[in-house]
Amino acid sequence: MTTKPRVYQTQLAVIGSGLAGFAAAVFALDKGISTAQVGNTGAIAYTTGYLDLLGGCGEQLLEDPWEGLKQLRNDEPRHPLSRVSDGEIQEAFSLFTRALSDMGINYTKPGERNLFALSPAGTTKPTLSVPETMITGVTAKDSGARTLILDFVGLKGFSALELVSNLRKSWPGLTAKRLEFPGMTTGAQLYPEVMARALEVESTRRQLAEMIRHELGDAECVGMPAIMGIHLPDRVHADLQRMVGVPLFEIPTMPPAVPGIRLREMFEQTFPALGLILVPQQKVKNVDLGEAGTVLSLKDSYGDVVIETRAVLLATGRFLSGGLHADRFSIRESLLGIPVTQPEDRAGWYRKDYFDHRGHPVNRAGIEVDELFRPLDASGVPINEGLFAAGILLAHQDWMRQRCGAGVAIASAYKAVEALSGYLS
Amino acid sequence: MQTADETFETDVLIIGGGVTGTGVMRDLALRGINCILIDQRDLNAGASGGNHGLLHSGGRYASSDTETAAECRLEGEILKRVAPDAIDECGGLFVAVEGDDPEFAGRFGEHCDVAGIPCHQLTTKEAREQEPGLSKRVFAAYSVPDGTVDPFRITVANVDHARQLTDSLYLPHTRLQGFEMEDGVVVSANCRDSRTGNRRSIRARQVINAGGAWAMEVARLAGCSDVNLLYSKGTLIISNTRVTKGVINRLRPPGDGDILVPGGTVSLLGTTSDTVTSLDDIRPTVAEVDRNLAEGMMMLPGLENTRFIRAFSGVRPLIREAANSDDGRHASRGFSLFDHEGEGLSNFATVTGGKLTTFRLMAEKAGDLVARRLGNPELCKTAVEPLPSSDVVRWTEPGFAPRYWYRRNDPADIILCECEMVPQSAVDDIVTSAPGAEHQMSLQAIGVRSRIGKGSCQGSFCSINTTSHLYDRGIYDSIDGLLHARDFVQGRFKGVGPILWGEQMPQMELAEALHCSLMGLDYLGQSERVEKEAGSGQSE
Amino acid sequence: MPATSELLPIAPIDFKAKADELLPEGASYDSCLNCGLCSSGCPASGLEGMDPRRFIRMAMLGMNEELSNTRWIWTCTQCRRCMYVCPMSIDVSVLVGLARGQWPDEKKPQGIVRSCDAQLRFSSTSAMGLRTEDFIEIVEEIADEVKESDERFNDLEAPIDKQGAYFFINQNSREPAVEPEELAPLWKIFHYVGADWTYASKGWAAENFCMFAGDDAAWETMVRQRVDAVNELGCKVWVNTECGHSFYTLWKGIDKFGLDAHFEPGSLITYYAQWIREGKLPVNADWNTMGLKFTLQDPCQLVRKSIGDPVADDLRFVARALVGEDNFVDMQPCRSANYCCGGGGGFLQAGMNEQRRAYGKRKFDQIMTTQADYVLTPCHNCHSQMEDIGEHYDGHYRVVHYWTLICLSLGILGENERKYLGPELMDL
Repeated sequence: MTTKPRVYQTQLAVIGSGLAGFAAAVFALDKGISTAQVGNTGAIAYTTGYLDLLGGCGEQLLEDPWEGLKQLRNDEPRHPLSRVSDGEIQEAFSLFTRALSDMGINYTKPGERNLFALSPAGTTKPTLSVPETMITGVTAKDSGARTLILDFVGLKGFSALELVSNLRKSWPGLTAKRLEFPGMTTGAQLYPEVMARALEVESTRRQLAEMIRHELGDAECVGMPAIMGIHLPDRVHADLQRMVGVPLFEIPTMPPAVPGIRLREMFEQTFPALGLILVPQQKVKNVDLGEAGTVLSLKDSYGDVVIETRAVLLATGRFLSGGLHADRFSIRESLLGIPVTQPEDRAGWYRKDYFDHRGHPVNRAGIEVDELFRPLDASGVPINEGLFAAGILLAHQDWMRQRCGAGVAIASAYKAVEALSGYLS
Repeated sequence: MQTADETFETDVLIIGGGVTGTGVMRDLALRGINCILIDQRDLNAGASGGNHGLLHSGGRYASSDTETAAECRLEGEILKRVAPDAIDECGGLFVAVEGDDPEFAGRFGEHCDVAGIPCHQLTTKEAREQEPGLSKRVFAAYSVPDGTVDPFRITVANVDHARQLTDSLYLPHTRLQGFEMEDGVVVSANCRDSRTGNRRSIRARQVINAGGAWAMEVARLAGCSDVNLLYSKGTLIISNTRVTKGVINRLRPPGDGDILVPGGTVSLLGTTSDTVTSLDDIRPTVAEVDRNLAEGMMMLPGLENTRFIRAFSGVRPLIREAANSDDGRHASRGFSLFDHEGEGLSNFATVTGGKLTTFRLMAEKAGDLVARRLGNPELCKTAVEPLPSSDVVRWTEPGFAPRYWYRRNDPADIILCECEMVPQSAVDDIVTSAPGAEHQMSLQAIGVRSRIGKGSCQGSFCSINTTSHLYDRGIYDSIDGLLHARDFVQGRFKGVGPILWGEQMPQMELAEALHCSLMGLDYLGQSERVEKEAGSGQSE
Repeated sequence: MPATSELLPIAPIDFKAKADELLPEGASYDSCLNCGLCSSGCPASGLEGMDPRRFIRMAMLGMNEELSNTRWIWTCTQCRRCMYVCPMSIDVSVLVGLARGQWPDEKKPQGIVRSCDAQLRFSSTSAMGLRTEDFIEIVEEIADEVKESDERFNDLEAPIDKQGAYFFINQNSREPAVEPEELAPLWKIFHYVGADWTYASKGWAAENFCMFAGDDAAWETMVRQRVDAVNELGCKVWVNTECGHSFYTLWKGIDKFGLDAHFEPGSLITYYAQWIREGKLPVNADWNTMGLKFTLQDPCQLVRKSIGDPVADDLRFVARALVGEDNFVDMQPCRSANYCCGGGGGFLQAGMNEQRRAYGKRKFDQIMTTQADYVLTPCHNCHSQMEDIGEHYDGHYRVVHYWTLICLSLGILGENERKYLGPELMDL
């Protein structure tokens, strides 16, 4: 028995459901471009929720990302961020964070300086914009506010004592306390996702707030793992804060962590309501690039799905998301076989020292694009007039070491959508 | 003479915490002798941890060195009796693949007979029934009683037993800097604790140099030039899961990638042999990995698509005899005991060379010498006395922790390492009772004494989970915990880099995202500085 | 945890080898990154000390004995959410099904075995052992009652074995066996839209517990009987009475066992939506003057495992039309990402109430977060489970079928058809 394929017609098909894909969909919808989004989620599920622009540069962490960008344009002209102007980056970030707020997660306004936001280890990370639920951690640290850090029995990989031990020097007013999460007191392993869902229930919030108030002492604010709800976290945060009576903030946890699940679910829930055709968690099987348009073929549990589109934006990510694949000899782009700029052989992929500040050459492997963010073939010619690419699939960047993952995703998605919008009209 | 921060006194100082050094330690403790064992790093940091874990039936040497082959067979039988928990009697095959010398293959059974190794010729069909992954190009096959032995289990158990018997002490991270000598007698050893920088002076009546590949350097510190070693670097690769039931040997003169050995839940393929001149910066390379794999695939074509999780290298100390060539493959795999009396020393001896399978015999010979020199009349007991097997030494065994955890059925015993399913109770046990934990136990030390970091994620998650747990337990209260976590993953990476392709690539990307982008281990201590500078900049 | 009887050994499976054999390349256990997203998002995590990641890891570590014996396989509802959130798309449910099949019948949860046995025993395929003659009698009786009590339906038909009818209806046994008055609302809807439909005297029951028993042969037998029955009557479309696993087992079974079906399996929800769009079912929310809040449960078997978001869209379209845009609140997460309620996989029949309710706590929290007065769901197992956990955890919501609200909205719901409605709607 075969089911008839479901056929959709759109102007744009975004392949990839990571930050770049979601950002591209946001920008495209904003321009009124009819859009379909396909592809399963990879790395986004592991994010801290922080939106980095540029935070690492060789031996240094950057306090001023804009100064860093100047340097980058000079030193690394082929870096994707070097191809986007400050004004465009600002516009892209502000459009994107505004869209996130509209969809249900408030972010701080991207500013002039990097924020040094907390990690679960008690280190800090330079980033441009953080969820509202996390900003108090940054300001409390800067002001040295007396702060109580909470952790929970059963939540592994998150130790308040570890945070305090590593932050104490610069932040003396820190104390640590371990709580049992209401209703989950067997001591068994807890997942942040489960705790976050439980906190969406008002009675759980009340119980937790009561426990926190009991431990508050003279603390002026309270930090805890990122568990303040998955859906509409700002509401959970505000309500808990009201019940406790002092400012609260979240600290990202180890994966599987809530911030990534929040983003993924938010996009999955809100996009269809905005008219986007979403085929979630399915990999594209075939792409038939044509002069007049492109046909994508997928298969979901029910059967075949066909998307006929004029433009395609490739945002399939790297190895973790399946956009790139490595065998023993070389790296290839998984879907279309687009040429990948890469070190000559495998011996050149990694440096000897894991933490070498120059980063590993393999991290800079990726596909080449022209000024309109169209992927190039081996001779440097765009593969198809209607094919665009964005995100960390692009060559010449090291998102992990340069702390620029969100920056590359958002800025390149912005530029690519600008370009494809021109192409479509 | 430099002033020491700590002084120790013992009957016997043993230098080198590999299978041989710890074997000597237990051997002597069984004779009632107190020892101090030191290692510049930690247990099995050298060749003892950098090998196949193969308990040779002797088949490997049957065609070239009947004496070694027979020695392997005898020692193998002893170990199976006294340390059954550390051994998997999985059996092994020798297989010849099209292109291999049929004459060499044809004489194998005969050679085994001479060395007394039980060996049965199989039809290729029988061989493939036994090991379905074997290549269709296999044309000759013999089964032999090869087995595997967990060298980590052996060393930890040796130390633990010696500690119980005579209060013998193990000091990790204790780097030998020189000896105090008086009239042809080594009086004491000057060492430095490489973690704290403390100077340690150890007075001993007898000194045993079991430094493995480093034995030549140690001997020279005592003024002895009679130890002459050839360094042969060998690289192996580890698969994500166990590929075969038993050991698979290539039936031809030894070469790269000709032995695949199960290691509990994984398999190890190796090994290369390259002569090196320095012991610094020994690490596997892409070329070595590929050589192993290319050869291994001749026997087992499925290795082409096998997920590998790590490579590692060890340096075999081969005894160089005057007439020997510089080629490690042909140098003797036997061992030597140097009494250094010819060099005018009466209480210093070196034992080196040999192989994992014969470590007990090496320790026995060294023990006999030391006991005689001390006037101790006790005979060696290691051939009959079973190696004790308490839980604290069992965490190195693949699959032990998950079974223990599953049986224990305590939901509050949280699993810190999900790949190998090591629960926090195991970590607590190691921290409180494992040998070498008398001082601060680091993540790396826990790794040596358990399966933490050895699974498919190679420490991506467990490094972080375990570190948090150690902060919770009060083992750490400063940045040391993160520094140790960083060192740990950096150490794992040494072996991970050369095998990164296929399914291990996304795993690595996730690891790097965690360690750098999330935890900031690459800029440890730096973010605070940048911030502070930025802060002061703003206030000016 | 491994609370298993020592009497009957379970022949262990080589889980790793089976995973390599049965799962697609690149999505086998060997691809696992150990990230834990599966376990984080699985309501069965922690039950019997297990979770999906541990299942995979134990397979990789060769713990076949333990995996073969763990009762966790009966708490996993095979809802496939693990696969949905996995970056590598690894499906744990496949080997859970295989492991179930390996248990001797005597050792399996007896509720599931009995249900499957009952289905195999009679041509009715009813898990509740309801025989066809009784079914026909009940149908006739209820049809007569409806005709008599409501003159708008005095020409209502509930045909059996009507050759060439467009719709073939599989009826969940619960209604005829336990609450026959609940049969009528759906008939009224069919009558209202003028649908050409029929029951059958063979294979009329909708449920299929043989799949949950891990008994593929029995699953096939069951599907084959129903397919033959539909083929014999020459119907165009097979639908069931708002039931999730019934759809999945038939739709998937046809494909899995290579059966020759001369019809298309459909979901009632799709047709409700279509009839509303076509104006054939002129429902509205005018009745909901109290502003009662409704949420809905996406059955895993129907949404994530089968039709996907198109049917999730239809579920919402129909719900909104019925209760009013402002009175509809989605659970989070929902649609294909929805959590299983814990009623599926035979869990309700397995007699493991403590585990089932622990599993259902997550669903309960989800429902409570919506502050809904009612949960709509087109699945009998979801229905029963959500009622049970609501009672157990002291939630004050009710669970209703779509057909009840459709008839309520159209003003054709009989007084005795309001079993699942609250007092506030008794007289409406």
